[in-house]
Amino acid sequence: MNDQDYILFEGYISKTLSLEDIAAFENRLKNDPELKQAFITFKDLNNFLEHKFENDASLNTYKNNIHTISDTYFNKENTTATKTIKFTPWKYAIAASVLVLLGLFVFNNFSNPTYSDFSNYDTISLTVRGKQESTVKVAETAFNSANYAEADKAFKKLLELDGNNAEFQFYRAIANIELDKFEVSDLLLQKLSKGNSAYKNKATWYLALSKLKQKENEECISILKTIPEDTEDYKQAQKLLRKLE
Amino acid sequence: MSDKQIHEDQKFIEGLLANNTFIIEAIYNKFAPKIINYIKNNNGDEDSAKDIIQEVLITIYNQAKQKNLKLTCPFDAYFYLLCKRKWLNELKKITNKEVTINEEVLSKNDSALELADETAIFEDKQSLFNTMFQQLGTACKDLLKATFKIKSMEEVAKNLGVTYAYARKKKSLCIGKLTKLVQESPKYNQLYN
Repeated sequence: MNDQDYILFEGYISKTLSLEDIAAFENRLKNDPELKQAFITFKDLNNFLEHKFENDASLNTYKNNIHTISDTYFNKENTTATKTIKFTPWKYAIAASVLVLLGLFVFNNFSNPTYSDFSNYDTISLTVRGKQESTVKVAETAFNSANYAEADKAFKKLLELDGNNAEFQFYRAIANIELDKFEVSDLLLQKLSKGNSAYKNKATWYLALSKLKQKENEECISILKTIPEDTEDYKQAQKLLRKLE
Repeated sequence: MSDKQIHEDQKFIEGLLANNTFIIEAIYNKFAPKIINYIKNNNGDEDSAKDIIQEVLITIYNQAKQKNLKLTCPFDAYFYLLCKRKWLNELKKITNKEVTINEEVLSKNDSALELADETAIFEDKQSLFNTMFQQLGTACKDLLKATFKIKSMEEVAKNLGVTYAYARKKKSLCIGKLTKLVQESPKYNQLYN
């Protein structure tokens, strides 16, 4: 291949060739296997570079997230003879999400945004370790059956034993939002959102939702604005912002 | 591949792509125990399992992002196969011995094998591309880094103090050079046939 060929490849990929040039190039590709092979490689490399440099940031966020989740998971593993309760099958989670989405869609244009429009947690499944087994089960069952007072009690007990457990803190906070006990929920969420756990971003999002439920819209808006673009709740956060502003 | 039906487990791939914490946790809870078990039973420990799982999740993410990975088999089979192969390769490196990979027991699922092969090729290509990129001259490396990071060629040209036309031409030629390096590598034929 000569320099002209490579210039042509780049033009074709970045869609800057004229229609005639495109036709001529595609014709050559058909009839010249060597050219085609070089072009395929060139395109692969273009793709590779694009990913390598352009997506650097999102790949890093992803890697960090994987590290945190993996650390949490393997710490749990280490502490014991572990056993995971399989909780709700995926299908229920999906059905639930679909319902939430459908609900959002219908309600969206007719009402002021409310907490329940946006809160989107699924049923939970906590990993069990040795002694705490029964309390964990109680927390899990209570939470999943929306018995939040009971769940809060159980989480409180669990946190007395394991105060740094981000998972317990996060779900205790949600239970307290549901119970309108905002002093407790907001304190926990603030701590989590400043921390470094896998729940960091989720906690920020729920802190905003808690403010929404308390009708502190200004506060809610300023928290929403701190949710980074590459997190899973970014889109929802933006949507809520549009409605509030 | 494209005419095959996409498996409902594609949701795991989408979840990884979206960096969805809940889905990633679900993947760990559901699929990690089997892998940890396998590695522990094959001369490894929990730490090696942890590393292997992380590496595989990163490979899947990269492949999904660059190649629009479509799952045609259960995620379980695919993920397990990738982790298993990666571990066996790791063992090969450590013990310097040939390890035979006995695959029929683990998967009666042809599409899982096919897909895992594709992923292996993808990974090998990535590593070849990375090596060859390092062999480029500094000028080319810097220009490519800038063009792909900044996106607007006008801005790149301005930053580098050259004309727009020149910057574009240079970009084409640098990727061209990289193409040549890759094509001349002894591994090339294995990966592109």
